[in-house]
Amino acid sequence: MGKISENLNYPKISVVVKNMKSIAIIGSGIAGIEAASRLSKFGHKVYLIEKNSEIGGYVAQWDRLFPSQTEAKTVLNDLIKKLNNRAEVLTNVTVQHCEKKDRQFELVLTDNKHLVVDAILVTTGFDIFRAERKEEYGYGIYENVITSSDLEKMFAENNVVCKNGESPKRLAFVHCVGSRDEKVGNRHCSKVCCATAVKQACEIKELYPSCEVFNLYMDLRMFDRHFEDMYHEAQSKYHVNFIRGRLSEAGENKEHQVIIKTEDTLAGKPLKLTVDLLVLMTGMEPCYLQKTINSKLGLRSDTDGFLSTKNSFTENNLSNADGIFVAGTCTGPKTIPETLADSRAAAGLLNSYLMS
Amino acid sequence: MINFGYQRNESATLDLDTTHSELYKKLLDKEPSAATCISCGTCAATCSAGQFTDFNLRKIMLLCKRGDMQSFKPIINRCMVCGKCQLACPKGVNTRNIVLILNKYLHAGKISK
Amino acid sequence: MQERLVNSFDPFVIPYTFGLIFLLTYLFIALIRVIQALPNDDKFKLLKHIFSLKIFKSMKEIFLECLLHVKIWKKNWTLGYMHTALAFGWFMLIILGHFEVQLFAPHRLNLPWYPIFFRYFMMETETTMQGSFFFFMMDLTLLLVLSGLVLAIIKRFRRKLFGMKRTTKLRWNDQIAVIALWSIFPLRFLAESFYSEISGGSFLTAGMGSIFHWFYNFTENEIYIRPIWWAYSIALAVFFIMLPWSRFTHILTEPLFIIMRNAGIREEHRNSGYGKVEIYSCSRCGICLDPCQLVSVASLRDSAAINYTRHLRLWKSEKAHQAASICLMCNRCTKACPVGVDTAALKLNTKHEVVTFHTDQQYDYLTSKTAESGAEPAIAKTLEPTDVIYFAGCMTHLTPATKLAMTKILETSGERFSFIDEDGSICCGRPVLLAGARKSANELMKKNAELFKQTNAKILVTSCPICYKFFKENYDLDMRVLHHSQYIQELLKEGKIKVDPNGAKIVFHDPCELGRNSGVYDAPREVLKSVGELQSTAYDGAESLCCGHSIATESLPYRKRHMIANDAVEKLTTDHPDVLATACPACKKAFSETNKIAVKDLAEIVAENLKC
Repeated sequence: MGKISENLNYPKISVVVKNMKSIAIIGSGIAGIEAASRLSKFGHKVYLIEKNSEIGGYVAQWDRLFPSQTEAKTVLNDLIKKLNNRAEVLTNVTVQHCEKKDRQFELVLTDNKHLVVDAILVTTGFDIFRAERKEEYGYGIYENVITSSDLEKMFAENNVVCKNGESPKRLAFVHCVGSRDEKVGNRHCSKVCCATAVKQACEIKELYPSCEVFNLYMDLRMFDRHFEDMYHEAQSKYHVNFIRGRLSEAGENKEHQVIIKTEDTLAGKPLKLTVDLLVLMTGMEPCYLQKTINSKLGLRSDTDGFLSTKNSFTENNLSNADGIFVAGTCTGPKTIPETLADSRAAAGLLNSYLMS
Repeated sequence: MINFGYQRNESATLDLDTTHSELYKKLLDKEPSAATCISCGTCAATCSAGQFTDFNLRKIMLLCKRGDMQSFKPIINRCMVCGKCQLACPKGVNTRNIVLILNKYLHAGKISK
Repeated sequence: MQERLVNSFDPFVIPYTFGLIFLLTYLFIALIRVIQALPNDDKFKLLKHIFSLKIFKSMKEIFLECLLHVKIWKKNWTLGYMHTALAFGWFMLIILGHFEVQLFAPHRLNLPWYPIFFRYFMMETETTMQGSFFFFMMDLTLLLVLSGLVLAIIKRFRRKLFGMKRTTKLRWNDQIAVIALWSIFPLRFLAESFYSEISGGSFLTAGMGSIFHWFYNFTENEIYIRPIWWAYSIALAVFFIMLPWSRFTHILTEPLFIIMRNAGIREEHRNSGYGKVEIYSCSRCGICLDPCQLVSVASLRDSAAINYTRHLRLWKSEKAHQAASICLMCNRCTKACPVGVDTAALKLNTKHEVVTFHTDQQYDYLTSKTAESGAEPAIAKTLEPTDVIYFAGCMTHLTPATKLAMTKILETSGERFSFIDEDGSICCGRPVLLAGARKSANELMKKNAELFKQTNAKILVTSCPICYKFFKENYDLDMRVLHHSQYIQELLKEGKIKVDPNGAKIVFHDPCELGRNSGVYDAPREVLKSVGELQSTAYDGAESLCCGHSIATESLPYRKRHMIANDAVEKLTTDHPDVLATACPACKKAFSETNKIAVKDLAEIVAENLKC
């Protein structure tokens, strides 16, 4: 099956090798990897530039993916396998300088390596909101306050426990931490946290069936296919408690349990809740290097900090600069399937641009 | 309508066909940030007065939008105007000003200084 | 020196005399009304002050501030010189004029126009030492005034030379007054110059006169140059008539304001006579515009102190209230004001006049019996006796790192303490007071004081400068009230806690309520110096910026607050410190939200470096 689809999708390398063009992809998360494998199969020379030592981006840190509970490892390995070492991966570097010469770009990387490429694809992705910035939630202050990505690592290491090593008997998820929050400069919804929270709530119940789980949400945004099923399961199978209210502040008692202050907005009363572990669903922010990259490449961001595109409907893989394409979460929060689809679209567009 | 021998209590219904919240319009005029409230309840959660009394700013703002003033008129000044809600509000709503404006319209000239 | 004309009158003195009579009548009525508006005990204070030796202190201040404008000199030399030249110069012209009359024509002292148009009525027959001396002095003073005038005109076009980025726009009434004022002295100069051939003059007028004479011999046709005296008289009259309706009212009100202020009169309940004098003492010089961050950062010029006083003068109470309710009350304007107009106090009164917040049932939930929710209020519990009580404050609960740091410091110090609002409490009352509701504030104060007294504590420590100012100044507590920066300083001094210096580069931001509004500048700095390397900025101490999250403002939109915070952080971190320290939960939140630099309360910095 796999073989057939590959044959359908890609022209034979020998056909296009004379017109071989080169592309620099900035960021080697799933968007970067997927685009790299498509473009290299089209017969182009691909440089995959990564600031960290490993490729894979944030997906490499996740345990299982919603809504199907597929292991993130499997998805990432599939993507890397498809890339099949056809791209030149440059790790631990970022772009230091970029100059446009005719239709080509001359890039200088931080290790002083020079690249001359015909096009650039920006797949710089996102960063996770630093939960310390919401001081009132106590991340970094109270020992049993963790973030959703911390919990994901705990799942991966199969070690979901409180600081004292005991398993949590009561646990709460706080949605929208660093999202929909003007005070931290993020008005946007991060899109994936609601589904992640419901997924993690189910996983906790799977792991500790007797643990009481509370999800404190403002609006549950179960927008995509099978998300509502996951929510249905969280209710019917796992009996997760959903409370509509936003955390105002967290405190700590002598036993280092976390005391939550919120309002049950549906009951219309302030609510106090003591939990063993508090999970903050930290949202997506533009990559911390985005501004620097923008200044080097001449790109523009919107007021929310994510990259602007030429047209959000019909030209959402084109940046404001000619020859520079964009894909993935650098243009706003996306789920993994959305990111991959966006990346494939960008690769197709890039190919026709390079062949013209 | 068929008479079933019992009637719905009209006062328990928010009748948006006949109610138009003039107060809310006035509030928006003076404090436009009131429109951006998402009813998340952070203000009510953090509220010092809310610990002791029925004062609940989220509910008050919602009722104001729906044109039901009578239910919060007696408690609007239970607020201590300490500003904690304003510091906590994720939308940057000027909550203190809302309390003061609503109070002013509901109790203008009727209360001693 | 002798009288040139037998008749001591000329029709051109009529406009001037009319203007003067009008002004004096107006002044007399205004003074009576102001004094009438004063509460009785303030009237008594005023009388007591006038008939005591302290009046000389006021006189000295009037001389230094109203005439020499010493405070403006400190801000900018050119601006100071301009003000001195105009005010002191004109004053000297009047005084010297009267001396001349006193010396050379004492029988004419009863004629109010005589000293002003002296050189029209008097002439120098022979050169006497005295006559030429006074003529020289008068010319010198006139030169001083004219030089000030030239600067005033330059200032209209090149205000940056005077250290001002912004200045006030002239309204039509001010424009008439300014034009009149600006023409008075050149006209006098011209008139005296033309007449120097007839009446004599000194270096300036005689010199100019001989130049004129070179063109045309005026002495033979005096009638042609008489109109210049008319113009001079009319300019004076116009100025006098416009004076009560223009910015120049301050020339007359400021001395009264200084006397009243030194007599200890303050605005406490509503804007009475003192408030009126204060409002009219504003010279609309515009010095308060640059320090005001609402103007410089948030582009809300209408809210500046100067425009607030203008709204009050024009009886635009709605606009005045708008300006008052948007004001951050950081008091940067009051600190800069050369006259010392305390607009924060006036604004509070403006708010107080319209707010209708208090009712008898308002806070009856503070007593457990009427708690509607049925829950036992946390504040109804009786508190155990202790030595030190720690009151974090409402907002500190949203910056938990600060309260945890304070708990750690207090535990390490070994003092017997209790954290009285650990589970929350009620507000200190200052925010509701700042919203104008004094009676509501009183109820909260009463309840808090009752709670504090139960503990028999010797020291009350708070982490919130807003609470600190209120506990310290408005509560009558039988215990020492300290902000945590002061308390930590004491603990360090007494050796009850010790810190390991970590050498971090720290910039300290003085919170408005702690620094400018309570005068605590040194304690936080001393504490921080024991831990790291304290960098100084242009905004230290009284020059400190507002973070924008002041509790005093009601209507300032969040976007604007954030702009002010961003601007302040940029200005404070030009030397790239490792950490921006502050001592107020509101400032900490404001600066953290900019996401530009690590922001910490000084208590956190101390707690992190405690030697255990």
